[in-house]
Amino acid sequence: MSTQQQSLEAVKDYADDYDLKLDWLDTRGEWGIKATPDARKGLTLEDIQTGSYGEVPDHTDNMTGRLRGAAQREGAYRTGGYTVRTKSDIWLTNAAMLYEEALQRQWSSATDIPWDTIKPLPDDVERAQCQLATFLTEVEFVAADVPGKWVAATSPDYFEPRMFLITQIMDESRHLDVFRKRAFANGGGLMQRPDVTTSGVVGSIDLSKDFTEMSSRLHISGEGAVLTIFRMGELMAYNEAEKYMYRLCGQDESRHVAFGVMHMRYLAETEPERKAEVHAYLDEGERALVAGNQNPAARDTAQSEALAVLLGGGQKHYDEGYKKLLAIRKRQSREYIQRIKSAGFGERFENGRANPELMEYAKA
Amino acid sequence: MPVFPSVEWFDAVSRSFNSDEANRTAGGGIADAGVGIIFEDQVFLLNFAGYECEKASVIQRSDLENTDFYLEMHPDDWIEMLINIQQNGTADMNYTLNTLDLDSEDGLAKSATDDQYRLDKFFRFNQTIQFFFDASSDVETEFDREITPA
Repeated sequence: MSTQQQSLEAVKDYADDYDLKLDWLDTRGEWGIKATPDARKGLTLEDIQTGSYGEVPDHTDNMTGRLRGAAQREGAYRTGGYTVRTKSDIWLTNAAMLYEEALQRQWSSATDIPWDTIKPLPDDVERAQCQLATFLTEVEFVAADVPGKWVAATSPDYFEPRMFLITQIMDESRHLDVFRKRAFANGGGLMQRPDVTTSGVVGSIDLSKDFTEMSSRLHISGEGAVLTIFRMGELMAYNEAEKYMYRLCGQDESRHVAFGVMHMRYLAETEPERKAEVHAYLDEGERALVAGNQNPAARDTAQSEALAVLLGGGQKHYDEGYKKLLAIRKRQSREYIQRIKSAGFGERFENGRANPELMEYAKA
Repeated sequence: MPVFPSVEWFDAVSRSFNSDEANRTAGGGIADAGVGIIFEDQVFLLNFAGYECEKASVIQRSDLENTDFYLEMHPDDWIEMLINIQQNGTADMNYTLNTLDLDSEDGLAKSATDDQYRLDKFFRFNQTIQFFFDASSDVETEFDREITPA
């Protein structure tokens, strides 16, 4: 008998002598687990996907907040009204990795942005920057708000994607705050709020009844488009602070897009019968990408005009800026198309289903 | 003095990058990516794993399909970027990787497989790749040609 077992027996003898109930000592999940940290990253969630703890059920009726692998307790309350209880509804193969990446690649809008590099700008440029900042604060508010609802709706058996969504809420909150700070950092302020967040496809993200419907709208269509805006932010930055701001937001946004792409890929591989439904979501998303008020890189909105002013270098060079905006729109469309192909839904670009205007953008 | 580009040069930059813990903060951090580098007919692979650039090696152009993405610029543009980094300690506003990518019609970051998920790692780990090239300011560098920066 090992020293550990001898100690346990001694405790049980003591409990018998004094009528103590210690049966919880034998109520446990799989025992003897010894996870080994990754030499390069430390002890990650991937490292503890071991034994039965790494087995994710295809469906779960766990409504009690019990984390995967913990022993059940009779009498536990049904604390969660989880609607996401089917693995393919939310799963992706690398949620644990994306979660760790999110944790370890954080940044501070207060101290990692060189705010002191912002100097007075011509009034038209400052107004354009503030208009864009106003747009982005509200869009990022939506992007933080929506996943929150799905965190609460997801069974703890699928805690990896659930926890990734929590990191997304943190990321989007930081994006909201960094653009709000930019609006107030150089003598400007907030400007006209966009109409995009309360109507159209973006406005209806929060009405999605299905996680994949929400993810295709938020992670693929919405964040894919905003990722391009963040990237082009470096092209229209007027100081180091704006460069950093856009680049770091772009990193986060790209992680969220990766989540959506990998979820769609998992769904396409495991439940191909749902592909037709996903194509319908993508139809809507593509209409938004080319519509005036849904995509800031589209056309004829306060945001697109602000972008043209920033890209051109002022109101007088609007046409020059607009040409750059067209080039960016083309790249945005091409990246979207490649992402959808990567997610396993590329047939829509071969069979004529994709939005023709979007295809024109990509060719232009 | 290591010549750019060479495995010796990338190893020297890796030592500087890996040893500076500041590169793990402020938007840096773990990054798993195979990054190809093309300089004329020379092709290199940088393996980023965890917090470090673990290995630099010479590869064939046909091996690029095993990379997540590769960076390709005119040789003069590579040298101009590195001179800018040496002069400023980090790339200034006009020479960050993302700016160079957007300035170029075909882009700086490319995919050999057209897999946007893998190409998106250029955006996802952009600050890390930027920190890596910024670390070249610590490395005395010899170039195989002289250029006149614009």
